Amino acid sequence: MDLLNYLMMGFSVALQPMNLFYCFVGVLIGTLVGVLPGLGPVAAMSLLLPATFHTTPVASIIMLSGIYYGAMYGGSTTSILVNIPGEAASVMTCLDGYQMARQGRAGPALGISAFGSFIAGSIGIVGLMLIAPPLVDFALRFGPAEYFSLMVLGLMVLTFLTSASMVRALMMAAFGLIVGTMGLDNISGLARFTFNIPELLDGVGLVPLVMGLFGISEVLLNIELKIKQEVFTTKVKGLLPTLEDWARSIWAILRGTLIGFFLGILPGGGAVISSFVSYAIEKRVSKHPEDFGKGAIEGVAAPESANNSAAQGAFIPLLTLGIPSNVVMAMLLGALIIHGVTPGPLLLSQHPELFWGVVASMYMGNAMLLALNLPLIGIWVQLLKVPYPILFPIIILFCLIGSYSINNSSTDVAIMLIFGVIGYLMKKLSLEAAPMVLAFVLGPMLETALRQALIKSRGSFSIFFTRPISATCILIAIALMVVPLLPWFRRRPGATLKQEETP
Amino acid sequence: MKKTFLINDIVWITFALLVCLGGLKLGFGTFQQPHAGFMPFLSGLFLGLLALVDLISGLLGQWKTEFGEKNIWGGVSWAKLIWTLAVLFAYTAFFTTLGFFIGTILLLLFLFRLMERRPWWIVFMASALTTALTYLGFKVGLDSQLPRGFLGL
Repeated sequence: MDLLNYLMMGFSVALQPMNLFYCFVGVLIGTLVGVLPGLGPVAAMSLLLPATFHTTPVASIIMLSGIYYGAMYGGSTTSILVNIPGEAASVMTCLDGYQMARQGRAGPALGISAFGSFIAGSIGIVGLMLIAPPLVDFALRFGPAEYFSLMVLGLMVLTFLTSASMVRALMMAAFGLIVGTMGLDNISGLARFTFNIPELLDGVGLVPLVMGLFGISEVLLNIELKIKQEVFTTKVKGLLPTLEDWARSIWAILRGTLIGFFLGILPGGGAVISSFVSYAIEKRVSKHPEDFGKGAIEGVAAPESANNSAAQGAFIPLLTLGIPSNVVMAMLLGALIIHGVTPGPLLLSQHPELFWGVVASMYMGNAMLLALNLPLIGIWVQLLKVPYPILFPIIILFCLIGSYSINNSSTDVAIMLIFGVIGYLMKKLSLEAAPMVLAFVLGPMLETALRQALIKSRGSFSIFFTRPISATCILIAIALMVVPLLPWFRRRPGATLKQEETP
Repeated sequence: MKKTFLINDIVWITFALLVCLGGLKLGFGTFQQPHAGFMPFLSGLFLGLLALVDLISGLLGQWKTEFGEKNIWGGVSWAKLIWTLAVLFAYTAFFTTLGFFIGTILLLLFLFRLMERRPWWIVFMASALTTALTYLGFKVGLDSQLPRGFLGL
């Protein structure tokens, strides 16, 4: 009954006209960002973060969250129609979605993608509602050792799953930790690696860093490539899947939902990993695995469901523990802190209207997305026809102005461009940006937790192994480091998927 | 290809060494009382060791296994890239002096011409329109403070 009461409170917050408006704006922009390749949800959230300074924390998080799960919906459109993933979590949808489009079945592909996303998103929200409150009680037992170990585990999971080379992914995580130390030390107040630049006393900003690594670098890469935009000009019709489509997809949707949700909860997991794992598992359990890659509808339903439920699951560690599980959640963490809200175990008790308001807004956001994605397919298709030579200057301009407008500082713009160059080089050298960004965000919290734990234990590292939760996390992290060294595990899911499934 | 990755790892090792030195200069402290340089030193050490592992495994053939003989710099249009970056940095440096309107129009004139050679009047119209719409979006819509420049625009 308590749950229902809280949910009703959440709806009373979410249904306020201003919050409804921000929810709509968020999902609309999210869909747009998901449709257009080159600008992912992270860059979009960083661009719009300054716009939320004038709103309430609830409205701000509702809008930014809407951008995130909206992008999951929108990303499937380009994957299916153009064979270019609108954003990273839709890469797997390209494999079968585009083939379905070539067979004249773009409509059912888009339809099952939207419906699967809706079902998965809705189940994910229920999971969030049911799991988050009890997890808060559990989280109150966390001390600095537990926080440190959980963050280390999160980084290890991300590096284990994202990259074919764990060593190189860990290098990027270390780089992120180093960049995260720039600025004033929280404890001693000493300036670290600021090079006498006053703007760096607060450290490198998350927004310029992310915009540079993901936005500018992508543009620089595309300047040298010619992206062949072959959009299907045949009218997309028949968006409702047939009964046979549903029969083939329903279990894929349900499996994808579960996989996505639990991978989304894991620090280091997220929508991208979920979609890869879900596709791989669906192919393994299918009675006709040979159909995958040739237009199997399950190959669309599974990853699209997984990435949407992962988007919901990812909120759990952020809202209950205050630990972002992926880069997008790191942006939300930044937004919450800017608004004076400290996410963590006390969020539910101190700001119940924020937690339940966001949860309730997700129900409405998912319904809005179903309405936006199906009837408006024609508009999204037109947008896809905008030539890249016109699109990319606009993306660059938005990034430049967006990063300037945070502090009215050209230093932020320069930082963004520097990280744009670094991000471009990283992509060329197959160095993953995601571990770097997550480590950058977690770094200050990780350092504080580590120093506090060592002070508490008088310098003994045994504190991380004598406390059960911390020991469990550390042992799993060590196992993830050791597993790739074992010959029969030498090819990990990320590597296996990349090598087998590259479109 | 091998040369690129070799240089890459040497750069990371050098960077890691500099970070470790910076950390020691800030003060490592002790394990009982870590100081400001504690985390930078450990992170730098971690990075340096990993880069060394990558270097050794790469020289033993890992790079070839992972990347084959792919030339990652093949097809790169260096002129376009360098010009783009130069213009972007120049925009950043002169943004407050020139102001939003003049700076942005000049930037867009270059960027629109970069990818496709279109008549100048089309490029100018597109630049002016984009600048105006961006101004509306950021200044009016998002209440951002944009510089006026020496002309006060």
